Amino acid sequence: MPEIFINGQAIEARDDQTVMAVAREHGHFIPYFCWHPQLSVVGNCRMCLVEVEGRGLDIACNMPVAKGMKVFTNSEEVQAHRKAMLQFITLNHPVDCGICDKAGECTLQDYHYQYSGQRSLSHDQKVRSTKFYNLSNRILLDNERCILCLRCTRFTHEVSKSMALGVERRGDTSNIRPVEDRPLSEDPYSDNIIDICPVGALLSRQFLHKSRVWFLQPTPSVCPGCARGCTVQIWHRKPEWKLKALDQRQNESIARVTPLDNPAVNGPWICNKGRDLAQVFERVRADEPMLKGRPVTVPAALDEARRLIGAARHAVALVSNWGSNEELETFKDKLGEVFHCFVKEDWQPQPGERLEDDLLIRADKNPNTTRARELFGHAEPGFKDGTDLVLVWGEGFDFARLPSRARIIFLNSYLQPENGHADVFLPVSIQTERHGHYTNFQGTVSAFEPCFEPKPGVLHAEDLIRALAAPARGHP
Amino acid sequence: MPGRQLIMSFPVTATSHALSEYRERGGYGALAKTLGQLKPQDVVKEVTASGLQGRGGAAFAVGRKWQVVQYDDGQPHYLIANADEGEPGTFKDRWILENNPHVLLESMLIASYALNVRNCFVYIRGEFDLPYRRLAGAVEEAYAAGLFGRNILGSGFSCDIVVYRGAGAYVAGEASGLLSSLEGKKGYPRNRPPRLTVKGLYQRPTVVNNVESLSNIAWIISNGAEAFKAVGTPKSPGTRLFSVSGHINRPGVYEVELGYPWMKFLDEDCGGVPHGRAIKCVVPGGVSSKVLTGADISNLKLSHEDLWDAGSTLGSGGMIVIAEGTCMVALLQVLMRFYHHESCGQCTPCRHGTGWLHRIVDRIVAGDGRSDDIERLYYISKFNDGTTICGLGDAAGYACSGILDKFRDEFEYCIEHKRSKFGGNLECLRSS
Repeated sequence: MPEIFINGQAIEARDDQTVMAVAREHGHFIPYFCWHPQLSVVGNCRMCLVEVEGRGLDIACNMPVAKGMKVFTNSEEVQAHRKAMLQFITLNHPVDCGICDKAGECTLQDYHYQYSGQRSLSHDQKVRSTKFYNLSNRILLDNERCILCLRCTRFTHEVSKSMALGVERRGDTSNIRPVEDRPLSEDPYSDNIIDICPVGALLSRQFLHKSRVWFLQPTPSVCPGCARGCTVQIWHRKPEWKLKALDQRQNESIARVTPLDNPAVNGPWICNKGRDLAQVFERVRADEPMLKGRPVTVPAALDEARRLIGAARHAVALVSNWGSNEELETFKDKLGEVFHCFVKEDWQPQPGERLEDDLLIRADKNPNTTRARELFGHAEPGFKDGTDLVLVWGEGFDFARLPSRARIIFLNSYLQPENGHADVFLPVSIQTERHGHYTNFQGTVSAFEPCFEPKPGVLHAEDLIRALAAPARGHP
Repeated sequence: MPGRQLIMSFPVTATSHALSEYRERGGYGALAKTLGQLKPQDVVKEVTASGLQGRGGAAFAVGRKWQVVQYDDGQPHYLIANADEGEPGTFKDRWILENNPHVLLESMLIASYALNVRNCFVYIRGEFDLPYRRLAGAVEEAYAAGLFGRNILGSGFSCDIVVYRGAGAYVAGEASGLLSSLEGKKGYPRNRPPRLTVKGLYQRPTVVNNVESLSNIAWIISNGAEAFKAVGTPKSPGTRLFSVSGHINRPGVYEVELGYPWMKFLDEDCGGVPHGRAIKCVVPGGVSSKVLTGADISNLKLSHEDLWDAGSTLGSGGMIVIAEGTCMVALLQVLMRFYHHESCGQCTPCRHGTGWLHRIVDRIVAGDGRSDDIERLYYISKFNDGTTICGLGDAAGYACSGILDKFRDEFEYCIEHKRSKFGGNLECLRSS
C-alpha cells in the first residue's frame, strides 16, 4: 500500500494502480481523450500529462504508483502543456461544432473551454481528409474531426472482438478504416464506438442531424431485447423544448438509445439491437378496446371480460414475459386463482440476429422470463379439453394454437390482425409509458421509468388486471 | 587512420565478408571461448565491465540493459539486432552488414548465450538490398557450419535466428516501434513502463541492441573488458563508426577511436571541406542531434562526454558536414519534411507538431514568413519535447530548435526580406 501525494493530499494507493485511477477515486480530475476504463492503455492523446516532483511530466494513465511520489495535476507546467496539447489536437480539427452532432457532449469542446479557450495559433491550411466515410450501414466517419485516440479500434479488438477497424497511413494523414474482410456491419456491438468517440468523428446514421443533444433528456430504462436486460438511457425531447409546430411526432419519439453504465449487468456497452428500440416501441399502436373487432368503450370491454371470466369453467392465461415484476406479481395475486397460468414467450430470435455470445447477447429474446417463470412455472402452454376461456397477454402467440371453442381475452399494445379475432380486446401501455422492474437471467433487478404519457384509451396492464379481478371475486 | 580499429580492422575485398575469411581473421573464436569456458553470468559481467555504450543514439550502457533480464525467470527471452538504420546521415550499420556480417552473428550468439535467448532476430531496414543479401548469405553459411540451430558446437546451447525485413518506416527503428512491427502490427512505439527488458516482444523480456553495439561483443569477449576500456576515453570506451557525409571531400564510413580530435578527423582523414570552404556547422550524430557550428567543434574531441558538454550528442554517428554558404532555412525545410513524412501519427504532439513545423518552414522558404513564425517554431519544439511516446517527437523539436538557436538571424532575414540570405543553397559552391 504505497502512500502517494496528489496535489498535496496523502492517499493510500494499491500497488497495481495507476496515478489516473487513484486520482479519479479521490476526486482529482485529470482530463483525457484516449483513456477508457474498459479498454487497454495506449497513452496517445497526451492530455493526461501530470507533473511528478523530481521526474517532470508524464502521462497519468500509464504511470504506476510509487511510494512517496508527489503528483501535481494542475501545476503551471501542466496547464501550459494541456493548452499546447489542445492546440495540437485542434490544429487540423475543423472546429465545425455548429453542424456536429457531438456538440454539447463533446469532450474536446468541454476541454477547450475549460483548459484553453485560446484561438488557434496556426496560420496555415488545415490537413483535409474524408468526410462522411461509410464505416457501415449504421456508422459514418468524419476523418477531419477524428483525433486518433484509437478507442474505436481498441473496442473492436478488445471488447467486441470483431477486429473490424484499423489505422491506415501515418502521421497527420492517418485514417481510421475498416479492415477489408471483416465488415463492421457484422459487429452487433458496433454502435458503442459512437458513444466512446470523444469527438464527433463517429456518427450514428440514425441520429445524424436529427436533434441537438441539449434538446433531449435521458430516461433510465431497461432494454427488453434479451434476457440480459441491459440498462439503457432512452433519449427523448425535453418537455420544455416541446415542438409546437413542425413534426410533432418528435415530441413522443425515441431520439436515440445509449447505454447506462452498470457494472452489475452490461458495463458501459449495449448491442445494436438495444439502439433500435424505436423499431420495437414505435410500431403502430392499438388504442381502442374492441369486442370481436367492434370498437367499444373501456368500461364496456371490461364488463364483457369480467362476464367471460365469471362464466368460465376452465380458464387458461398465457402470461407475457414482457410484463414487469409488478404486473406479474399483481396477476399472480389477483388472477392466479382464477386462471391456470402458463408463461408465454412473446419474442423469438429474428432471422439474421446473433443468437448468443459471451459478451452480452442472450438466446432468450425477452426481458423478464426469469420472474415470470418463478411465479408461473416452467410448463409449456397447453390446453386441456374443456378449456373455455383463454386470456392472452402480449403478442407473439399463434391464435391457431388456441382451442377452437374457447373465448379469448386479448391484451396487446400494437395493431395486429389477432386483435380483431379476440372476443375482448384491451389495449395496454408499453414500457416507455410506465414504471416497472425487470429481473434479468442472473436475477439482477433493474428499473425502467416512463418517457412519454400513455395514449388515451390505453390502460396500464397492472390497472387492467386489478379491474378484471375486482368483480370476479365479488360475484363468483 | 583515426586511432585503433576493432571492427574495420581488415582490408575489404570481394570475399572478405565470407565465413571462410572471417574464420581466417580469428572469427567465431570468441563464440568457442564463450561456449567452452564462460558461464552466461560471466559474459554479462564482462560486457558490463567493458562499459560499452549503445551505438544507436542514446548511448545507454549495454551491460546495464542486459542486467535487467533475469536469466532463470522461466520465460522465453528475445534478442533483437536493430538494423533498421533510418536516421538521416547514418549508414554505419550498413557497412557491418555488407562487409562483416559474421561479426554481428557471432556477437548475437554470444549475447543469446548470456541472456538465455532461444530465438533472436535481426530487424533489417527494408531498403537495404545488398546488406540484406549479405546478411542472409551469412546466416545460411552459419547454419550450414552448425553455428546456429540445435546444440551449437556440441555445447548443448541452441539458438535460431530470423532476419526480418522492415517496410520502410523510420519509426520502426525505435526499439518498441520495431517490436510492434516485428509482431506484425503497425510500427507504433509503446509507452514505458513497462521497459522492453521486462515486457518486450510478445510481452516477454527482450533486449534490443544496435548492430554496432552488438558487433563489439565478440571483440570484448576475445580480448577482455580491460583491453576494451584501454581503447577510447574513460567515459567513452571503445571506437565508433562514423558515417560522414555532406560537404566533405572523402565521405564514407570511418572507425574512430573515441577521444580523437574532431577537426583533425575531418581535415586529415576525411580530406576537409571541398573548395577550401570553412565549416559552417556539423550535425554530429544523425539529424536528431543538435547541430554544432564550426567554432563549437574546433576544440572538441569525438567522445560522448565532450559532445554532452557542448549540448549535443554523438547520437547514431551520422555526421553531416555543412559548409559555409549553405542556407539553413532550406536545410531545416528538408529536415522538417522528413520528420513530417515519418511521424507515425500515434501521439498528438508529434502527429500534428511535425506537420505544423513543416508547413511553417515551407512558408518561410516560399517568402510568406510572418513575424511570429520563429516564436511559433520554438513553441512547437518546446511542447514536442518530452510529451511524446517515443523520441521522434523530441528529435524533431531538437533539430528545429538546434538550428534556430544557432542561425536565428538567417530565419529573420528570410522572413523580413522574403528571400534566403544564401539563395536557398544546399550545395557546396566553388565560389561565393
